[in-house]
Order: sequence, then C-alpha cells, then structure tokens
Amino acid sequence: MFASVWTNLDYVVPVVLFFIGLYVIIAKNNLIKKFLGLNIMETAIFSFVIALGVLDGGTPPIMGPDAHPPYTSPLPQALILTGIVVAVSTTALALSLIIRIYQQRGTIEADELREME
Amino acid sequence: MKKALVTALLIIAAIPFLFAAAALPPHGDPNTPVQTGASAYYLEHGAEEAGAENIVTDVILNYRGLDTNGEVTVIFTGFAAAFAVLLPISLIRSRTEPVSELPASPVVRFAVRLLAPFTALFSIYVILYGHVSPGGGFQGGAILGGLFIVLSAALDPARIRRLIPRQAGPWLRAAAPIAFVSMGILGLILTGSYLGFPTSEAQSAVRTGMLIVIEIGIGVGGAVIFATLFSEMEAQ
Repeated sequence: MFASVWTNLDYVVPVVLFFIGLYVIIAKNNLIKKFLGLNIMETAIFSFVIALGVLDGGTPPIMGPDAHPPYTSPLPQALILTGIVVAVSTTALALSLIIRIYQQRGTIEADELREME
Repeated sequence: MKKALVTALLIIAAIPFLFAAAALPPHGDPNTPVQTGASAYYLEHGAEEAGAENIVTDVILNYRGLDTNGEVTVIFTGFAAAFAVLLPISLIRSRTEPVSELPASPVVRFAVRLLAPFTALFSIYVILYGHVSPGGGFQGGAILGGLFIVLSAALDPARIRRLIPRQAGPWLRAAAPIAFVSMGILGLILTGSYLGFPTSEAQSAVRTGMLIVIEIGIGVGGAVIFATLFSEMEAQ
C-alpha cells in the first residue's frame, strides 16, 4: 500500500488537494474564500487528469524534425486546456455575482446573509 | 469544534480515494488506456491528417473541434452573464468621476511601458505559432488579456479602454464563436460536413489556414473578454 502510494504520488497529491478545497468550501464563511476553495478543487482535478497522460521519459507531442517517441499523451492536455478556460469563466461569473451581493446587502459572509432572510 | 468535525469527516471520506489512487496503474506506465487508446492514433496520424504539428492543437481544433466549438460558446455565454450582472450597477453609478486614487510609482509605470511591446509580440507569436510549437489561441489570448490588465492597472485605465474600439467591441468579444462557426461553414462547403477539414495532401495549406483562423479568433476573443471584464469590475 505505502509503496504504491509513493509510486502513485502524482495521483495522491490531487486527492489531498481536492479535499483541502472541499474543506475550504465547507469551513470558510466568506464567499470569495469559498470560491477560492472551488478553484483549488478544480486545480486538483486538472492536475490529476494531466498526470494520467504522463509517460516515463515522454517528450511533448509536437511533431517536427527533431521529435522522437515516446510522446506524452496529447488527449488529457487538450481536454484540460479547454477545462481551464471554462473554470476561468465560471470564476468570473461568480465574482461578479459576489460584487452584486455585496452592493445589495453590504456583506459577503455566508452566515450574515442567512440571518437577513 | 465545527472545524475539527469537518476535518475528521473529510479525512474519512478521503481514505477510499487514496486507496483508489494507490491502486491505479503505476504513474508513467506506457500500457495504460490513456496511452494506448485514441492518443496512439492521434500521435501516429495527427501531423499528416489534421494539419498541425502540435498534436494538442490537432485534438482541440480538428478531432474534437465540435467539442471546442461548444466550449467556446460556453465561455462566451459565461462572460455575457457576468456582464449582464455587472452592467446595471455601472449604469446606475455614473462612472465619470473616478475616486481620486494614488497613481502608480514612476518605476512601475516605466517598467510596464518598457515590457508592453515585448509582451504583445510574445502573445502574437504564441497565437500564430501555436500549431507548430507549444501555445495556441487560449494561451496567447490569456497573455494578451493579462497585458491589458497590467496596463490599465499601472497607467490611466480610461486611455487603455479606448484601445478597444467601441463599435467593434461586441464583435471582438464574440470573435471566438464567430471564427469557429465561419470555419465550420467553410468546412461544410469544402467537404460536406460541419467543421470538416479537407483531408487530401494537396489541401494541407487550406487545413492549416483554417486552424490558424480559429486560433486567431480564440486569441482575440479571449483577450478582449479578459480586458473588458477587468475594466467592468474595476469600474465598480
């Protein structure tokens, strides 16, 4: 078990990162901090999928005069590139909603917002 | 107390995930499905078939072009929603009288001015050369958008905002979906299927040209969206 945790450290670290993000979402009260937690979770998923495509001694999958196999798998990189940009757009939407909430209610603490209802 | 409880619960929840991570095939193993599945085909045929030497670009814009088309539309819709949330506030508050704020120090302004042309050149290089080297529309667009943000943070924001012409603004913001759809329709005319790329040897220049047009669209659209979003949020 511990030997395979060490060889698969690149898969174990995203799991740890994922739960750190989940902790931030649950435990923190500030809405911006909650979204930072969500971004940490997204980063964990991205690094996990990227790590799946890594090959021992692999080179970048760019064909050219001095390209030589083995190549790193291009598919996870392509999927995650688009995923990162979608994550940016959700973050932008979330931040503008938080700005709006602050202007309407004067606070972005989750428990104070709950009391106002 | 509550935090300790949350921590304990999350550690218990993490244990199955850790076991699963440890039970995956060893990291860097060449025989996993990620390496032997579609990737093997893309690596073998991508450079000739899809029109770009960078296989990641091939996958994004050619093999999975329809995916990326939808995804670009999702980004545009997300930013449109963000503008819709932000805009009513800035319309109520007249943004003519800015709060008197401390100007950036001369050193910062000089450094930003010095670096701006090189950053712009680098972003254009990344956008245009993304099909034969690491890079592409998304990355170059992010660099260009970052340049706009740095400029408007260090120099006069109103002057930087004028760099994006008012009439062309909405079209530039939608540049990525527009480039994608127009290339998709061009593919429809050339090959009979939406986003179809001509496959014959003689038309490899057309193929690469279509990829470059899409890259430019994504790059310009991304940069303008980042810049506009920053200036909208700054105006609050």
